[in-house]
Amino acid sequence: MADILDVAIVGGGPAGQAAALHLAGRGLDIAVIDEQPRPGGQILRQPPASFTVPGWLAGRGYARLKHQLARFEALDDIRWLGGCSVLDLAPTMDGLSLLAATPGGISRIRARHVLVATGCQDLAVPLPGWTLPGVMSAGGIQAFVKSQRFIPGERILLAGTHPLQLIVAEQVVRAGGEVAAILFAQPRAGMIATAMRHPLIALRRAPDLAAAASAMATLRRAGVPVRFGAPLHAISGMDRVTGAVTGMGEIACDTVGLCYGFVPQSALPRMAGARMHKAGPAGGWACAHDHWLRSSVVGLSVAGEALGVAGAAAAAAGGAIAGIGIARDLGLFAPEQAERMARPHRHAFDTHRAFAAMLDSIADPTGHLPRPDAETLLCRCEDVSFETICGAIEQGGSANAIKLATRCGMGACQGRNCEPALLRLLGDVGRGDDPGFTARFPARPVAIGDLAESG
Amino acid sequence: MSGTRIPGETRGAAITVIVDGAPVPAFAGETLATAMIAADRTAFRHDTRRVARGLFCNMGSCSECLVTRVADGRRIRACLTEAADGLEVRTDG
Ligand SMILES: Cc1cc2nc3c(=O)[nH]c(=O)nc-3n(C[C@H](O)[C@H](O)[C@H](O)COP(=O)(O)OP(=O)(O)OC[C@H]3O[C@@H](n4cnc5c(N)ncnc54)[C@H](O)[C@@H]3O)c2cc1C
Ligand code: FES
Repeated sequence: MADILDVAIVGGGPAGQAAALHLAGRGLDIAVIDEQPRPGGQILRQPPASFTVPGWLAGRGYARLKHQLARFEALDDIRWLGGCSVLDLAPTMDGLSLLAATPGGISRIRARHVLVATGCQDLAVPLPGWTLPGVMSAGGIQAFVKSQRFIPGERILLAGTHPLQLIVAEQVVRAGGEVAAILFAQPRAGMIATAMRHPLIALRRAPDLAAAASAMATLRRAGVPVRFGAPLHAISGMDRVTGAVTGMGEIACDTVGLCYGFVPQSALPRMAGARMHKAGPAGGWACAHDHWLRSSVVGLSVAGEALGVAGAAAAAAGGAIAGIGIARDLGLFAPEQAERMARPHRHAFDTHRAFAAMLDSIADPTGHLPRPDAETLLCRCEDVSFETICGAIEQGGSANAIKLATRCGMGACQGRNCEPALLRLLGDVGRGDDPGFTARFPARPVAIGDLAESG
Repeated sequence: MSGTRIPGETRGAAITVIVDGAPVPAFAGETLATAMIAADRTAFRHDTRRVARGLFCNMGSCSECLVTRVADGRRIRACLTEAADGLEVRTDG
């Protein structure tokens, strides 16, 4: 690998691929780094190369993204660094420096430009029983089905506020799995009213609405109850999930998928010191950017869900804009040429973001989140209970101070799971302007021994 | 058994991983997480109270699926680690 890359792209999802496609073929030294073995990102989590899956994700909604993925995989002048987790990102004199855990050990990668396209993750929602084996994020269940071709339970309950759970349930049912029910905590009337307030936006994304409607029809045919105004209160079981306490009474199940929305995976820009702002109603931090999706850190651009969760089409459009912008900054395109090339992508970006904003309000978990009880662990890594954290909040102090006092957020996930819940609690007592945890190294778990070896 | 491999599709070669000393069947290409859940081994680690904990995000971000690789004692994420024939892990960490 060159001593210093022209461009390092972190994330091989729709955003990272789109950027790479605009940067390839121009004599640049480019690497795309992803901790998954194969490109695709969350929406196109590919089955392992050793599987043969006829008709994989054949739905119409995936066609464009699959086409882009095929073009990306055909690029021959881009280095694909699959199975590599980026642990750190920091500005340097001549660009940025990344630390990556690769199958061969820790490696430092330097690049003039870095594009962070790390996507989002499911919002982690603490409630009684949520640490029992069998409770997963809905996206995690979906990834098992899509990529591992595996249904991770015998009877799956989906609960939350985000319509994506309909798609997850449909995929489980089509794969032959059993879904106990799909519970939306919010009433249906409110969801429809929100969509009706934006008829034009809804119309422009008719295929997505059609996908939701078709999922509903499949689920109805399969006899799977879809309920609205039906909150999840607690998950029961001794050493694994055996049921759930809900607004519809007890439901027997061995797996629960939580689907209350998504938060940006923005640890890397935060570590690099980029200016951030609060993301959508589900929480988390989105990276502030200019109209080429450049962050406040020189050489660092951000695209896809790390800018704020807006779906795969917006991610691809944003990736294209960021890629063109980087090529422009490298002097490969004149400013007017870059502007002309970016125009259709900017239009798509704006359209899809408008749809995402509508989806955000339909799926808004505010006021619909389950209540933890005193023993519920808010911080799953360090086993810090709701009661302990409430006590620390009463003492005053910032999220960082509460972290020091209780260890909440100090564990292997680096606060990704507990920070949104903690910030919501601080918001409830009028401290909603808390800047959150200071992002700390490493962004992914790593053995100290490996770091020592890397020198 | 907990969970189902989708039938009618071709998976990789049949292999065996070892979880807490016991053989667990897997197919090349599967993650350790898939092999473990399919064998009804839903506990991936144990917390400070020695309570069993399961996989949560299945995408590498939560670290709930950390198991201990016996060969070198390293903690690895089962949801990102490909099952390899003879790979041995423990869940008591
Ligand atoms: C589990 C899950 C399932 C989803 N399913 C759907 C769906 O079915 N339909 C839909 O419309 N939307 C879905 N979404 C939303 C989805 O994120 C977007 O639609 C789309 O995939 C976003 O594209 P992206 O390029 O921004 O990020 P992603 O597609 O998420 O790609 C980001 C990539 O970055 C990699 N990465 C992240 N951090 C690091 C790191 N530190 N080091 C190395 N690599 C890293 C990840 O492995 C991933 O491959 C899902 C989201 C999640 C979290
Ligand atoms: S289950 Fe979250 S990191 Fe593996």
